[in-house]
Amino acid sequence: MRQFTAERISNIVADTLIKASVSFREDQIKAYGTAIEAEEDSKAKWVLNNILANAEAGEKGKLPLCDDTGIPHVFLEVGDGAELPVGFFAAVDEGIAQGLRSLPGRPMAVKGDDIQRMIQSKGLYEDPGILKPAPLQLRRLPGKQVKLTVLMYGGGPEIRGKTQRVFHKHSLDVIKREMINWALEGSKLLGCLPCVLAFGIGRSNVEAASLSLEAMKDGNFQKQNQLEQEITDEVNKSNIGPLGIGGKTTVLGTFIKVGPQRASGVRIISLRVGCCFDPRKATYTWNL
Amino acid sequence: MRKIYFPVKKPLELKVMDKIEIYGKIFCGRDAVLPKIARLYQEGHLDKLFIDLSGSIIFHTAVSPAGIGPTSSNKLDIESTIPILSQAGVKLHLGKGSLKQKTVEALDNYKSYFAVTPPVSALFASKVISQRVVAFPEEGMEALYELEVTGLPAIIAIANGESIF
Repeated sequence: MRQFTAERISNIVADTLIKASVSFREDQIKAYGTAIEAEEDSKAKWVLNNILANAEAGEKGKLPLCDDTGIPHVFLEVGDGAELPVGFFAAVDEGIAQGLRSLPGRPMAVKGDDIQRMIQSKGLYEDPGILKPAPLQLRRLPGKQVKLTVLMYGGGPEIRGKTQRVFHKHSLDVIKREMINWALEGSKLLGCLPCVLAFGIGRSNVEAASLSLEAMKDGNFQKQNQLEQEITDEVNKSNIGPLGIGGKTTVLGTFIKVGPQRASGVRIISLRVGCCFDPRKATYTWNL
Repeated sequence: MRKIYFPVKKPLELKVMDKIEIYGKIFCGRDAVLPKIARLYQEGHLDKLFIDLSGSIIFHTAVSPAGIGPTSSNKLDIESTIPILSQAGVKLHLGKGSLKQKTVEALDNYKSYFAVTPPVSALFASKVISQRVVAFPEEGMEALYELEVTGLPAIIAIANGESIF
């Protein structure tokens, strides 16, 4: 298992974090291309073209797409037939720190004890590598693969998302209406539009939020199911537009992950109103 | 596309949806530092910092090795300082997101403007000539910075009591 030395794992994680932070994926570039063609408003086109040009400049110069380089979220999928080496998770953490230092990530780890961190009274660390990733998400896979995805989550969308119960009344329309309303509420204030809506629907707050992250991990702008397309189209009628200055493209795409559900009249829905660079993600796969 | 050099000496005379390019010296600050600057102004102690806000622009951004880019201007710590800093002489507030009607009125009252810019940090990287910390260095990336820039693109979002949001 030569490929599984701590150093190699760390280097791969660091490269994956950087790739997620500086470049667009093909499905994303295509989605922007389609949006620019469809947009009639010249100012909306100007914003969308700027976002695409930014992605080109980011890829070319290995520069962060956004100065809010985000909080790293690691999503790990482990094959039932795969074995992780001793120290794997420590090597992943080290890779995250390494990636943040060479990106460089924004130095935004908050100093101090619990209280001081809560009220940000002791300032920030200068070292971007001190920023800790969010608690890791783990899923099973068949086979012998190990897949590691790094998602970089910026702060703006965190203000616009929420996780809350919905009384579904056994009607998809009720749930859909609620999802659209949340999306409209968040889009109006987000600024960095067009957004990407990532919904997780589960049985507990933590499960729904985890499913929303999974939706972001799997999301592909070129693969939209009927419900996803309907929500995108409905929110796009709002004319909030790129950067909130009007236009057809408020939402670039919607990603939904529906988990197992509770025998109950309640559904827990978690929404992230992702920004115009979301999902900033990249995946590395080990075939053992 | 109108080019504006900061600090400005004359009234700006802008209207909503005007596309502009920003040149010259700009202040950068956000959540942590703007309330401190606003408080110093209200207490009459702004001169302690040796900064002059008249005719100035404040870009709502952190400044870090990761670059610059607009943060949400409607965050409480930022939006609440817009009227006070406008009174102190700031002529253009640059950020993103919609602002409250009360803020729209305050901007009009002080003949100040709000512009938005896309969060294109990789593109901005080539438009920053120099940077220095002006005040509150302990806030790190959230300190008050002064940058010299050449051609930051923006669109006027709030002007003369009118908002595009």
